[in-house]
Amino acid sequence: MKNITLESKLASDAVSVNGVSKTYPVPFLRLKKLLRRKFKPPVEALRDVSFNIRAGEIFGLIGPNGAGKTTLTKIIATLIQPTEGSATVNGHDTVRDDERVRRNVGLAGAEERSFYWRLTAEENLLFFARLYGLSGSDARRRIQELFQLFEFDELARRRFAELSTGNKQRLAVARAMLANPPVLLLDEPTRSLDPIAAARMRETIRSLAQDKDQRVTIFLTSHNLAEVEELCDRVAIISKGEIRAIDSPANLRATHTQQEEVLVEFTSLAVADAEHALRQSFSDRFFTLERRSGGSQWLLKFSREAGDETLDSVLRVLQQSGAVIRSVEIERPTLLDVLERYEKDPDTRE
Amino acid sequence: MILFLRRIWAFLARDWRLELSYRMQFFLRILSILIIVTTLFFISRIFTGFTDPRFTQWRDPLAAWLTGLAVLNYFMTGFSSLANAIRQEQVQGTLESVLMTPISVPTIIVASSAWDFVQATFFSFLYLFFGWLFFDVHYRGSFLLALGFLLLTTVVLSCLGILSASFAMVFKRGDPFGVFLGAGSALFSGVFFPTQLINQYAGPGVAGISRILPPTYGLEGIRRVLIEGEGFAQVREPFLTLVVFLAVLLPFSLWVFDRAVRRAKREGSLIHY
Repeated sequence: MKNITLESKLASDAVSVNGVSKTYPVPFLRLKKLLRRKFKPPVEALRDVSFNIRAGEIFGLIGPNGAGKTTLTKIIATLIQPTEGSATVNGHDTVRDDERVRRNVGLAGAEERSFYWRLTAEENLLFFARLYGLSGSDARRRIQELFQLFEFDELARRRFAELSTGNKQRLAVARAMLANPPVLLLDEPTRSLDPIAAARMRETIRSLAQDKDQRVTIFLTSHNLAEVEELCDRVAIISKGEIRAIDSPANLRATHTQQEEVLVEFTSLAVADAEHALRQSFSDRFFTLERRSGGSQWLLKFSREAGDETLDSVLRVLQQSGAVIRSVEIERPTLLDVLERYEKDPDTRE
Repeated sequence: MILFLRRIWAFLARDWRLELSYRMQFFLRILSILIIVTTLFFISRIFTGFTDPRFTQWRDPLAAWLTGLAVLNYFMTGFSSLANAIRQEQVQGTLESVLMTPISVPTIIVASSAWDFVQATFFSFLYLFFGWLFFDVHYRGSFLLALGFLLLTTVVLSCLGILSASFAMVFKRGDPFGVFLGAGSALFSGVFFPTQLINQYAGPGVAGISRILPPTYGLEGIRRVLIEGEGFAQVREPFLTLVVFLAVLLPFSLWVFDRAVRRAKREGSLIHY
C-alpha cells in the first residue's frame, strides 16, 4: 500500500529530488596522495536536498552565488550525477534512465558558448531539433513557431556570433522548448534581456505553465528576486548547498516578519492638531512625522502587523483632523530580506 | 533506425555548414594533396630500376606510397575523429547541449565522426585519383575486397579512437593513444617503406611493434589486393587478424567510453577543457 502511495505521488510530481548530495571529487586523489602532492579538499556542492515540483508549477530556486543552484539544475538535467540520493523527472531516474529524462526536459542555461557560433540561429536550432528526433519538416515548423513566439524572424539567418547577448539568451530558451518538453529548466532566463523583452519572456513563461493543452512545469533559477516573486508558485531558498526554506513567496515573506512599514502622505494646514490626535489615539505606537518639500505636505511613517486595522484607524484620525490624504504606501518585506536573513543566520530553517 | 539516421544526418548537415563557412581551407587541402602526389612522383623516379625484388608491392614505389597515404589518411580519421570531435565540442562549450538531447552514446560516437569520414573518403580518393590521372598509376585486383579491408581496419581504429575520446573526456589533454598510433603507424605500419626492413635493420624485437598495430594488417591487405592483385584466399590471414582486433576492441572501447561519460558527469567536468 505504501509503495502504491509513493508511486502515485511520484507520478503527480513532475520533478522529485530525494536526499540529493553532491560532492565534487578531487581528480586523481589516490595518485596525488601517492605522490604526496597537495590537493584542495573535495567541494560539497549539495547536502541532502529534497523537494518535489508539481506538474504545471513554476518553481523558483534562489540563493547566492556558489549556493548550488547550477549543480542542482544540472543534476535534474542528467548532466551531473549526484553523489547520494536521487532525482526523478516524470518518474524517470536521472542516472538510471537518463535518456528518458532528457526526452522530458529542456534546459536553457546561462552559458553563451553552448551554440555553434559560425552557424545561423536557424541552423543551430535545426541541428538540435534533429537530435531531439524531429523530422526536417516538423523541425522547420516548430522552429518557425518559436521564432514567432520570440519575435526572432529577422534574426533567424544571422550567425549566432552576430547576435546580441540578449538574443543569444532568447535562442537558448527557444532551443529548450524545441521538443515541447513537459519540464523546462531555466537558468536566469531574463538576465541579459532589455526590460521589454524580459517582460515578454516572463509572460511566455507564465503562459507555458498555464497552457491548457500541455501545462509545462518550470524550474527557474534567478538572481532577479522580483521576477521570482512575480512568476513562481513556490520558491526554495538554497544556501551553502542546503535547502533552507520552501514555500510560496508570500508565505516566505510572512515567515520572515509580519511587520509592514506604512507611509501616508497627506496635506494639512494644522499638522499640530493631526499629530496630537494621532498621539492620543495611538499612545502605544511609535510613528514619525516628516515635512515634505517644505510646504504643507507631510509624511507619516509607522509599522503595523500585516493586515491589522491600524491603517484604517490612522486614516480616519487624520481625516477628522482636517488632513487630506495624498497617498498610502505599504512596504512589505521582500524576498531579498528573507534571503539575507537565511544568509546571516546559518541555523535558520523553515 | 530512422531516428538514428536522422541524427547522423543532423551532424553531417551541421558539419557541412561549418565547413562551408571555411571554404578556403577545403580548396587548400585539395591543392596540398596534389602537391604531395607530384612530389612523391619525382621522388619515385630516383628509385626507377632499383627496387629490391623481395618487395613485390614496392616495384612501383609511387603506387605503394599513394595507397599508403590514402589508407593512412582514412585510418587516422577512424582513429582521431571522435576524440577531435569531443575535444572540439568541449572547447566550443557545446558538449553539454548535445548531451542534453536524448541521444545515446553509440549514436554520438558514430554521428560525431560521420563528417570526418565523408571528408576522408574524398581526400583518400584524391590521392589515388591524382596518381591515376596525372602519373599513370594503375591499380588491379578486387576493389570490393580492398574496400572491405579499408572498412574493417577503419572500424578497428575507430575503437582505438573511442578509447582516445574517452581519454579526452576525462583527462582533457595529453592523449597517449594519439602519439603511439599517429607516429607509430607512419613508422611501423609500412606506409613509406616495407616493414621487413625494420626487421633487417632494427631486429625482430622492434619489428614486433608493427605486428601489434592494426594498420599494418590493413595496409598489407589493401596493397596485396590493389597492387599484387591477390584474392581473398591469399589475404585471409591479415583479414582475420583484423576481425580478432575488432572482436576484442569494440565492446571494450564502448564500455570505456560509457564509463568516461559517467565519470565526467560525476566530476561535473563535461564542459571543462
